[in-house]
Amino acid sequence: MSGSAGSSPEPGSSLPRPAPVARLLEERSALDRAYSPGHHGRWSAARRAELTDACLLELFALVEPPAGVALVALGGYGRGELAPRSDIDLLLLHDGSWPDEMAVFAERLLYPLWDAGLTVGHGVRTPDECLTLADERLDGATAMLDGRWLGGDEDLWAGTRAALVRALDATPRVFAERLRADAEARAERFGHVSHLLEPDLKEGAGGLRDVHLPGWLAAVIGSTLEERGILRATEREAVDEAHELLLRVRSALHVEAGRATDRLLLEQQPEIARWMGFTDEPGLAAVDALMRQVFLHARQVEHVRAAALDRYLRGASEAGVVESSPEGVLRALVGVAAEHGIPTPATLDRIEDVEIADPVAWTDGVRDAFLELLRLGEGGVAMLEVLDRLDLLERFVPEWSLVRCRPQRDPYHRYPVDVHLLRTLSNVARLLDDPGEDRMAAEAAAAIVDRDGLLLGALLHDIGKTGLRDHVTVGREVAGRALDRMGPWNATADLARFLVAQHLLLPDVATRRDLGDDDLVLDVAARIGDPGRLAALYLLALGDAEATGPAAWTPWRATLVRELVSKVQHVLERGEAGPETAVRLAERTNAVRALLSRVPEEEVERFLERLPRSYLLAVPPERIARQHAIVAPGLGELEVRTLAGPDGRPGTYALTVVASDRPGLLSLIAGALSLTGLSILSAQVFTTEDGVAVDEFEVEGAFEADVGEERWREFRTTLRKAIEGRVALEHRVEEKRRRYPPPRHEVPLRIDVHTDASDFFTVVEVGAADRIGLLFDVTRTFAELGLDVHLAKVATYGARVVDAFYVRDVLGRKLDPEQVGELELALRARLGE
Amino acid sequence: MKLVVAIVKPHKLDEVKETLRELGVAGLTTTDVEGFGRQRGHTEVYRGAEYQVDFVPKVKVEILADDDQVSELVEAIMGAARTGKIGDGKIWVVPAEQVVRIRTGEMGPDAL
Repeated sequence: MSGSAGSSPEPGSSLPRPAPVARLLEERSALDRAYSPGHHGRWSAARRAELTDACLLELFALVEPPAGVALVALGGYGRGELAPRSDIDLLLLHDGSWPDEMAVFAERLLYPLWDAGLTVGHGVRTPDECLTLADERLDGATAMLDGRWLGGDEDLWAGTRAALVRALDATPRVFAERLRADAEARAERFGHVSHLLEPDLKEGAGGLRDVHLPGWLAAVIGSTLEERGILRATEREAVDEAHELLLRVRSALHVEAGRATDRLLLEQQPEIARWMGFTDEPGLAAVDALMRQVFLHARQVEHVRAAALDRYLRGASEAGVVESSPEGVLRALVGVAAEHGIPTPATLDRIEDVEIADPVAWTDGVRDAFLELLRLGEGGVAMLEVLDRLDLLERFVPEWSLVRCRPQRDPYHRYPVDVHLLRTLSNVARLLDDPGEDRMAAEAAAAIVDRDGLLLGALLHDIGKTGLRDHVTVGREVAGRALDRMGPWNATADLARFLVAQHLLLPDVATRRDLGDDDLVLDVAARIGDPGRLAALYLLALGDAEATGPAAWTPWRATLVRELVSKVQHVLERGEAGPETAVRLAERTNAVRALLSRVPEEEVERFLERLPRSYLLAVPPERIARQHAIVAPGLGELEVRTLAGPDGRPGTYALTVVASDRPGLLSLIAGALSLTGLSILSAQVFTTEDGVAVDEFEVEGAFEADVGEERWREFRTTLRKAIEGRVALEHRVEEKRRRYPPPRHEVPLRIDVHTDASDFFTVVEVGAADRIGLLFDVTRTFAELGLDVHLAKVATYGARVVDAFYVRDVLGRKLDPEQVGELELALRARLGE
Repeated sequence: MKLVVAIVKPHKLDEVKETLRELGVAGLTTTDVEGFGRQRGHTEVYRGAEYQVDFVPKVKVEILADDDQVSELVEAIMGAARTGKIGDGKIWVVPAEQVVRIRTGEMGPDAL
């Protein structure tokens, strides 16, 4: 059309504008101004069509149509509905007597409109051509079903339309299938108006085309859908309301964009929301309120469209049994879902007849039936959606209203909050029954004891997304309220509460924290507490991510989350951490705080932050508080500080050595202790965040029970010299050893290496004859091989000593088989075999 | 002009970003990547189910910079991304022949 307009030698703009067109333009602009741009609904669209009718009729008369020609309005215009910038679709129907003249006639009729800048689409066809088009193109058929005679040969149009309806009604099921295939193709191509943040209001599923679809079906089958039991009166009302809203938004969009467009873009939403009277409210911005309305209505439209076609094609069946109580409603839906069906219109009518209190008084029966629905997964979710459309879900779970159709404006989430929750539930239910390829999911599913708790957690995990504060904090309160109302069910509700509170723990920690940090893993394990909860969190993380969008669960994220899950599982399996660990950690930290009440709070917190968790758990608070004095102040590179005092047992002493951490420090300390005449009973090695070694020893005098300050001083001096390299430790220890007789009993040397005992360390056990400087020799060997000792436990059985060391290499890895081989070789050589 | 590419541990990204922002870096690009270096892969075991992890998750950071900024940037990234343990990643610098800001058509250092 624009092509032919452009090829015209004299574009009509220079010609005087015909009066009817000039008047139409004025009237249209007056109509546009008559309302605020957010209030052009069906009335305005009908008025715009009327004005257009009048103009066209005058133009049609002016061009003196030949006999056997009819002017017909098509599509939206045919229905008498024109949005501000909608196309004006016309059909020039002719009986074929003047085929050559028709094109010229059409141009004469339409040029003034084109020149005035109106978008007019037209077809010039004979009745036969109309039928062929309808056969080939569904949109051609539906546009003509909506067709309306404007002028000219009225009988010609009446006959054509009747022939069209006859042709389509000859195989009404085929027509219904075409409607369905087209709707599905549109959904695929344009997505869903019910949850896209930038929906296509016309073509998208639940959009205006779907609003009109029941009308086309009715036009062909020749009776109202209500009469045929295909559409319920309430459904018709819902579609009518949606029609008004969607049309208003689309009209506002035309005004905003200044052209015909159907895609509601993010940047247009604030203006349109304002025009339509939405205002910012606490927890719901005006744009979100707008989109929420769009979603709510599109959801109804999409359902009615699908239900109408489905009921027509399947035949609407009998009403199910619905006992008149909230429990009865849920039971009826459980029955429908269990048969993989959808509720018939009659069943829905019965459900709507049931009196359901707002909110529902939960009984054991209601709870059982509700859980039954959750357990059905996808089928159950479909029934929750039925309740939602009937506005009943909010009576069972009033908290649902806060998240219903609430848009999520971030790059990850595809769906509004409530849809996301239902999809997560459906995913988790599926993972429980069929975890698929993911073996970790399969193991996790097998470890779940309380499925109901997990399903409830999935349903409620984001219920705190109310637009106020952090959603996890709010979610705890809101989910707590919902669960309390549902009734007393202790463990199950506890699990659900836990899942709501911690549902981000795994993905957040896995992607943002250092998984090589054993403290971190211990903390996470302490927060989770037991393997069942860990498994539930993993399945929820999976289902949640899948329901979020394609960016939420990439192999990249999966690898990180799995690494965290397996590490936490190992810690829990070995009993290194559990809920009691977290409690104990908190108790101990608070105890230290109390003991250091005279120290400025900030300094105490900085001190606590520097300390590893394992240290806080292993060392008594009183001792930690005492150590504050030697750990907190800045430490010189060569400085050595000690703190010694009697230990629990008589004759033994607790000794803390603080020095700047360096490779082999433990062996230097062990050597210095030997030279000073002190035997080591146990050793634990800690390093603060900023690289200060805080090593804890239990020692006793090798020759005399009482150890005085003088000896500690001697030890400090020796150690400082050793650090500075001013004492030949190895020779001094050797020399000292020679002064005493070797052990009388032969004790075979035993070296056991355990690689599976810890996720972070290789555990090396050395059994040997007790002798002076044994620990020095072993730790020196570790240092020479670049191994770091984290923990050393010394047990003496008569003449035999068994030392266990937790070690890792200089890069923080556990030892590989080659390193283990070298270590054994070196230890055997040094310990004299 | 140079393109500075850094592969860092995921949990170090925020620190790297922060440090670069303090240096006045106006823009950078990050990508989730997977790969292996000397760290190789490892195996995760969960309740008996084994996962072979051949490629370790990392984050790639890319920054376009003027030549005289480069050494400062590299040092800053190193400082922020270092844990001292295996798998801290790598940084490399390659020449960038041309840089164009699409919106304005500015070229070369003006487009940085």
